[in-house]
Amino acid sequence: MQRYLLSRLIQSVVLMIGVLVLVFFIVRLTGDPARLMMPRDASPENIQAFREAMGFDAPLHVQFFNYMRGALTGDFGRSLHYRAPAMSLVVERIPATLELALAALFFALVVSIPLGIIGGTRPGSIWDTLCRGIGLIGQTVPNFWLALMLIVFFSVELRWFPTFGRDGLRSLVLPAIALGFFPLGKFTRLVRASVLEIRNEDYIRTAYSKGLLEQHILTRHIFRNVAITLVSIVGVQFGYMLGGSIYIESIFAWPGIGRMVNEAVQARDFPLVQAIAVFTAGFVVLLNLLTDIAYAVIDPRIRYEN
Amino acid sequence: MEKKKIIGLGLVFLVMVGTGTALAGGGREAPAAPVSTLRVAVPTFPNSLDASIAAERNAQNVAWQMFDSLVWANDQNIVEPALAERWDISDDGTVYTFHLRRGVTFHNGEPFNADAVVYSWERGTQPHIEWSDRWGRAKSVEAVDEYTVRITTEEPDPLLLGVMAQHWNIIPPRYTQEVGDDGFGQAPVGTGPFEFVEWVREGRIVMRANPNYWREGLPRVDQVIFRPIPESSTRMAAIQTGEVDIVNRLTVEQAEALEGVPGVNVVTYPIDRVFYIAFNNLTTGVDQPTEDARVRRAMNYAVDRQAIIDSLFGGRAQLATGLMTESNLGYDHSIDPYPYDPARARRLLADAGYPDGFEIGFAAPAGAYTNFEQVAEAIQGYLADVGIRTSLDIMESGRYWDLEAEKALPPLFGDSWSERSGESLPRLLGALGGWDASFSAWSDPTIDDYLARIGVTVDQDERAQLYRELHQFMYDDPPFIYLYVPETFEATRDNVVDYMPRAAEDYFLMFTYIR
Amino acid sequence: MRIDAIDQRGVYSPLRRFMKLILRDKAGLFGVILFLLIVLIAIFAPQISPHDPLQQNLRLSRQPPAWQAGGTWEYPLGTDNLGRDMLSRIIYGTRVSLTVGFLGVLIASTLGLVLGMLAGYMGGRTDSFIMWITNLFLAVPYLLLVVVVASILGRSLLNVILIFGFTNAPLFVRITRGEVLRIRKSGYVESAISLGASQGRILFDHILPNLIGPLLTVATFEMSGMIFYEAGLGFLGLSVPPNIPSWGNMLSAGRQYIQFSPWIAAYPGLAIVFTSLSMNLLGDWLRDVLDPKIRRSA
Repeated sequence: MQRYLLSRLIQSVVLMIGVLVLVFFIVRLTGDPARLMMPRDASPENIQAFREAMGFDAPLHVQFFNYMRGALTGDFGRSLHYRAPAMSLVVERIPATLELALAALFFALVVSIPLGIIGGTRPGSIWDTLCRGIGLIGQTVPNFWLALMLIVFFSVELRWFPTFGRDGLRSLVLPAIALGFFPLGKFTRLVRASVLEIRNEDYIRTAYSKGLLEQHILTRHIFRNVAITLVSIVGVQFGYMLGGSIYIESIFAWPGIGRMVNEAVQARDFPLVQAIAVFTAGFVVLLNLLTDIAYAVIDPRIRYEN
Repeated sequence: MEKKKIIGLGLVFLVMVGTGTALAGGGREAPAAPVSTLRVAVPTFPNSLDASIAAERNAQNVAWQMFDSLVWANDQNIVEPALAERWDISDDGTVYTFHLRRGVTFHNGEPFNADAVVYSWERGTQPHIEWSDRWGRAKSVEAVDEYTVRITTEEPDPLLLGVMAQHWNIIPPRYTQEVGDDGFGQAPVGTGPFEFVEWVREGRIVMRANPNYWREGLPRVDQVIFRPIPESSTRMAAIQTGEVDIVNRLTVEQAEALEGVPGVNVVTYPIDRVFYIAFNNLTTGVDQPTEDARVRRAMNYAVDRQAIIDSLFGGRAQLATGLMTESNLGYDHSIDPYPYDPARARRLLADAGYPDGFEIGFAAPAGAYTNFEQVAEAIQGYLADVGIRTSLDIMESGRYWDLEAEKALPPLFGDSWSERSGESLPRLLGALGGWDASFSAWSDPTIDDYLARIGVTVDQDERAQLYRELHQFMYDDPPFIYLYVPETFEATRDNVVDYMPRAAEDYFLMFTYIR
Repeated sequence: MRIDAIDQRGVYSPLRRFMKLILRDKAGLFGVILFLLIVLIAIFAPQISPHDPLQQNLRLSRQPPAWQAGGTWEYPLGTDNLGRDMLSRIIYGTRVSLTVGFLGVLIASTLGLVLGMLAGYMGGRTDSFIMWITNLFLAVPYLLLVVVVASILGRSLLNVILIFGFTNAPLFVRITRGEVLRIRKSGYVESAISLGASQGRILFDHILPNLIGPLLTVATFEMSGMIFYEAGLGFLGLSVPPNIPSWGNMLSAGRQYIQFSPWIAAYPGLAIVFTSLSMNLLGDWLRDVLDPKIRRSA
């Protein structure tokens, strides 16, 4: 177990170094980051001055070395737009994004687990149809469209929830539903499939039909399978929600990282974009590591296979 | 055993969710509303609350509620005293002596005096300051005594007072040095009508009334809260539900829809921006028919601009009569816009020797301005009606502006120019400055002469007269097809009184109150 | 078992086999029909569109759909803010979406197939390196990657296709490699090796055909995803240029009118939902057909 953990840890660190390299090159995709970051009417002299100030005139390997040295100490330079250290801006917005993502996850799980289990245990029933329907709708309705509809209906028409902002629990409801809808669809499908799968395992079927398996034991098997499935997917979905928050946070004026991505991209503030990319990637890598560990705890076979 | 593990894992997860939510959201509620609070939605969020670093209009608007300059430009763009009670200008127009208001203190108690002005200027001219070029219009700023400041310029600068009113926020030296530029931008201190209370990043900016404000009886509300809402449909929803009192940057359709909503007032006004189709007499337009003034006038007659405004902007824009707008100094109200008169256009073309019209290149940027692609297409159609056949090239805006700066666009090209100084000089120089200006493709010695004279005439009335003459000249010999001056759309709750945004989309909330 | 199924293809008429499989699953049938319909709409867009999708008529802007008060059958789904026919724009938008989805998936799957087979077959350092790069791309949240790259490259149809093509490739690499490893381990290929079959022969005769099934399933889902994400990019103003009628651009423009002219945003939204739905159903069905284990349980 310790060896497994250690090797996964090393893998994660190597991966993060790769992410740093990747981000460095993405910003240089067009060849001239200075031109990319300056406003359209900037004069050639201003661009040149900026290039020198940012160190973009240095040879690529020198730039890379400086970037990596900064990155390893958590220094991603200063945000051009906000005029503050980029990483501290990102860190400031973590609580809001985390709050929203966790609430969305909570919403998705609370709805999908019962729905998926009911659907999976009664294939072909009206519950199953509902379950499959939600699964499909969740994956086909664009979240920003849903967000706008939620505002029109629940805020403007019914006045149940605020239209924007982060002011306590009530303001969390609509953004969490909008962001959680996609994972809701995904989870519902997966829970249903994993329930079906365990019910159809030959040994379970035989045991159950012969009366050797009691209902509560079957239930236990089902829950175990569902838990394994969900643990494996929650990490990935968290990554998705960090992306989806670009839309949801912008629409609901939620003060988190997703909204900052949008503003940084519009302002062509690429030092900030770099910091956000590295941070979120680091978060996903960490989450995957935790997922693997959780997985190894639940299912001991995993660690030997690796 | 298995079961326990799973339950354990589930518990760990629930605790994670729980603590995460609690950590992130626990105990943070909206502050209790005092007697009168004005809640203002802004479409972008300030990068800084220091008016010298605040990058764009909305950030500037937020920041300026907390500051004063030596002078203030009123709603008619007339410069009035502010932190300076009066000033004298030397005969050659390069030395200004400001006599400062006494007894004014900054929000933190620091006294306002000549040293504060000198310090503000010294800091403002440093290259890392966003608006350092505006501060840099003065060559030197010296303290003569505690309440007298002498400001010197290289040459007579008629725009200096206007620029000071717009950009010179006076800051307290001691506090600024203590907290540094970053710290100041996050928690600024000024002499303005409102003082800084808190800034929850991207959540809210709270200010309270300055009880010792030097303008008697102002401000009229106890508290102002700015809320950032980037999405315009969310802003519209928020004004409907009454979650905010003022919203700006709505679309024309949103404004129209809000007009029927009880409790909401729509605010509309023309902004200081002119749209035009420019001609070129420097590069691609050389030896083209458009070098003839009759042809250019014909083209102004040929386009039914009112129809374009009616259909594309719901009638909510004004016809441009020149490169100036009504809010600019020296705008000649007696000049009427070119009427739509295709017959006259054909006659003028025939006079100029093109009875059957001609062919010419035409370009416009894509996605840069509201409906501008459609405007360009409509113009193409109208020009074709009088025989002028254009090949319209709608280009990605980045590439378009690169080509415009290189003067490599076709002889007809569309664009717009906004101005915030209250005068049209910067816009005129930028769009007509010939080879010296990066977005100009036109040069005319008469215009150059006018611009040179305006640029050194410090007396406001004389300058206004020169603008009026130039306005008439540019009407008779148009270097553009003048299009329209757009309007902007805002809305307030109907109990908001005296909210008066101006053509540069700036506003001062010290006059505003809630009924 | 899967190998047998594929090998038997020649025995039955493929069409009959397809009909048999599709008729068994109503949802799948619906998905296939819907998908074919959408493809036909895209192909025959110029023939079936009642109007030019770019032709604006400002006097007729924001007309409601025909069945609402004030609507006419001249514009069955109403007009947008510039008086362009919504129906025609949605029909032409099908072309943009399918082009983005199809070419995006083509690039992603080709890249993924080559790199995945290389990784799975060569093993060792090649494998480690390719998989490291793959995991790298998978670590950055997908949407963030797409948004950042799109904002750097600027708006064009080609850029959108390339972005989706490249950012989706890692997924295909991973799946291809997994399948290659699985197939290689199966007794079938091992016996072919022991019989002295050449490397290339094994790859092309035995491994490649077996990859088609799983990749086709994933491709269907990914294509649906790209259409979905094109709309997302359009919403942020980062998709194709505004003069191309894409669903993303239409949704983005329509959101300003969502309260008072809801059809401008609603119909492109529905188009995305239906297209995405058809592909998801198709993908579900393909997976069921091609993976006997799940088939049995569903």
